[in-house]
Amino acid sequence: MIEKLLYLNWKLFLAKLTKFQTILLIGYALFLLIMLVNLMGSALIVIFLDSTSSLQLDLAWLTPEIHKLILLTFATVFWILHFSFTSTRLLNMEENRKLLALGYPAGKLSRHLNLMCLYHPVNVIYNLTWLVFLSLQINSMWNIPIVVAAVLLNYGIIYSIKHRFLHMVEKRFKIIVFSFVFVIFGVISALAIISRQTQAILGEVAIQMSQLIDVLLLLPGGLLYQAATYSHTPILTGTLFFFLVVLTYMVFRDHYYKTKEGLMTPSSIRVRKEVSRLWIFLRRWLGYNAGKYYYYVMTHSYNRLQLFAIALIPLIYIPLLLAVDFGVISLILIATMIAAIPVALLGMGMANMFGYEHRELLLHLQFPVSFERQLKERFLGIITVPLFIFYGITIFELLRLPQLGSAFSIYIANTFFFMCFMIVFLWSSFYQYQKASYSSFSFKHPIIPQKVTFTMSTAIFILGYTVFVPLGEWHSYRLWVMTGLVIAITFYIMKNFDLLARAFKKRILLKLWSDF
Amino acid sequence: MERALVIQQLVKSYDKKTVLKGLDLEIPSGNIFGLIGPNGAGKSTLIGILTGLLDYDEGYIEINALEYKASNELAIKKDVASVLQPPLLFENFTSYEFVTYVCEMYGVDGNGLNDKINSLFNYFEIDEFTHVKAKQLSSGSRKKLAFCAAILTEPKLLFLDEPFESVDVISIGRMKSVLRKLKEKGTTIFITSHILEVVENLCDDIAILHKGKILAYLDSKTRRDLEKDSNLGEIFEQYVEVKSANEELLNWL
Repeated sequence: MIEKLLYLNWKLFLAKLTKFQTILLIGYALFLLIMLVNLMGSALIVIFLDSTSSLQLDLAWLTPEIHKLILLTFATVFWILHFSFTSTRLLNMEENRKLLALGYPAGKLSRHLNLMCLYHPVNVIYNLTWLVFLSLQINSMWNIPIVVAAVLLNYGIIYSIKHRFLHMVEKRFKIIVFSFVFVIFGVISALAIISRQTQAILGEVAIQMSQLIDVLLLLPGGLLYQAATYSHTPILTGTLFFFLVVLTYMVFRDHYYKTKEGLMTPSSIRVRKEVSRLWIFLRRWLGYNAGKYYYYVMTHSYNRLQLFAIALIPLIYIPLLLAVDFGVISLILIATMIAAIPVALLGMGMANMFGYEHRELLLHLQFPVSFERQLKERFLGIITVPLFIFYGITIFELLRLPQLGSAFSIYIANTFFFMCFMIVFLWSSFYQYQKASYSSFSFKHPIIPQKVTFTMSTAIFILGYTVFVPLGEWHSYRLWVMTGLVIAITFYIMKNFDLLARAFKKRILLKLWSDF
Repeated sequence: MERALVIQQLVKSYDKKTVLKGLDLEIPSGNIFGLIGPNGAGKSTLIGILTGLLDYDEGYIEINALEYKASNELAIKKDVASVLQPPLLFENFTSYEFVTYVCEMYGVDGNGLNDKINSLFNYFEIDEFTHVKAKQLSSGSRKKLAFCAAILTEPKLLFLDEPFESVDVISIGRMKSVLRKLKEKGTTIFITSHILEVVENLCDDIAILHKGKILAYLDSKTRRDLEKDSNLGEIFEQYVEVKSANEELLNWL
């Protein structure tokens, strides 16, 4: 039966592949291969660091204690990587659920799906690297069963934490966001202090190395390290193994039941009453059409995380970049980062303009209000909010970064940045249309296709360097070119405003109609 | 006799497949009209065209005495409402937010609107979902909500595509009662349905659509004559020329 399940998932996977995605897949496979080699290589280098004579001669400072510190740091960092990048749920649950109707027993399907997750390439790579890393350090044969059980338990716990964490993020969004802000600010502040007083602080750390090792030993990576290196008596090994096996069994049992529950009740929605103040506010501010559209954008679970990222990254990096003295590079980076904020907001709203409402747009088409007007209102609504931020940042730059240039050049540079992306997003919303969805089971980008996100990120930095890098006496030429292009783009958009409705009817409408 | 809908030689193709092949149809005003036809006959395509969601290739359409063309589009839409299958709702809005939004778009007078909404929600027993988001509603409640929204816009012509699908028997009875009241007020109702009994009992005139053409238009007089000897199902089978199933194919069962 599992062969057929594997075959189905493989077919599902292939059926959705476009040519571009096939190329991406090849790239992904190469990336996994390189990652495996790198991780294994790193693990081996770290382990054999003190046993190679040539290395010992060259690295006289490598005392056993420092070596242990390096091993523990590697284990901790590797665990964080494992936690961050492991793919727990990449299977198409909705499609696999259909097997239930074809007589596939729910319990068996749940068990098989969990097994398939364990065999996902990313999980295999991390678990295998752990096994190699830990196996090479074992003290005795007694450590082997402990290491195997610990690696399995580690995988199971990461799986559980990630699954439950994603659910928690959805439910307790505000608390999580504020906790993150608090923690990240704490870490960044600590790093900033360390970077300014390196010698004094590291000197102190060196003295307290044993204490640091003690702490690292208690972190997840350290605990795995202990599983391989501690000397165990047979009785202790037996007891440890017993508890690890019991724990692993319980965690996997939990996975089994949770997956089964998910298969049986795919989208158990709790009915709850609510009145949205955000909708009332946006309706009053932007009107019915733009207000509704922006309400959809803002209430989308994924966008709330996006907004958090958009706000957080500049909040952390800009003060840091302002504090350090990197001259021109800092200046370009800050200007690019700031200009990217409204662009990111614009991308959120515009890059897949029809994906949020999807079939609902058919109802809008039936209203006795010109559809062109409805789309125009949406379009203006989408640019209104980023424009407010755009003016805010321009004022900030004028006050805090006068070295960027005159008020006119800052304004033109930011406008150019904004307009370029606006036109790209406008095209993207027609050519990259897809239903905006969000699922805690999926790590795929749910709103804008990955290729658009990737292209945008690259383009932001390329354009940032083009627009903000000092050109000396050539600056005025660049200014004129940008001004000309801003005027051209403005005219293009104004002249082709009806394009919004025409392109919708030509490219999107039939897809919406046939998508039941 | 005033006509709510006139369709002449309507042609619609998807790629190379012609779905509507020169369709002609006229519906008198204030009538409850039923369109029946087998799967793939072109019912949904026709509803799609009449509700402004699909373009057509050739033909002439007149709705409430206005020719269907770009310059009349908004005037026509003002007096037309629809409930499609599956119903179109604003998923992130609560039931109340949804119907008020629709009324705003149709320019419905706000005076007494809340009372109308409350009475309709009560009547269809969806009042407990007034402040519940549409995406959390069951399929039956969704259909009833879409129906309420359409009624509130006070249309002259109401298109209902499979309006009774996934709705419970009691609610079907209430929907029929509302439709009869609307008819008394002069509203024309255009229904497509697979449930022939409902169409038979509710509709005045019935047309049979098959392979993109109207095979028969049965007005109330013709129906009375025909239904003396056979029910609508049998009449439908006669017109559509349903091939008798080869039972031998299932001998293995």
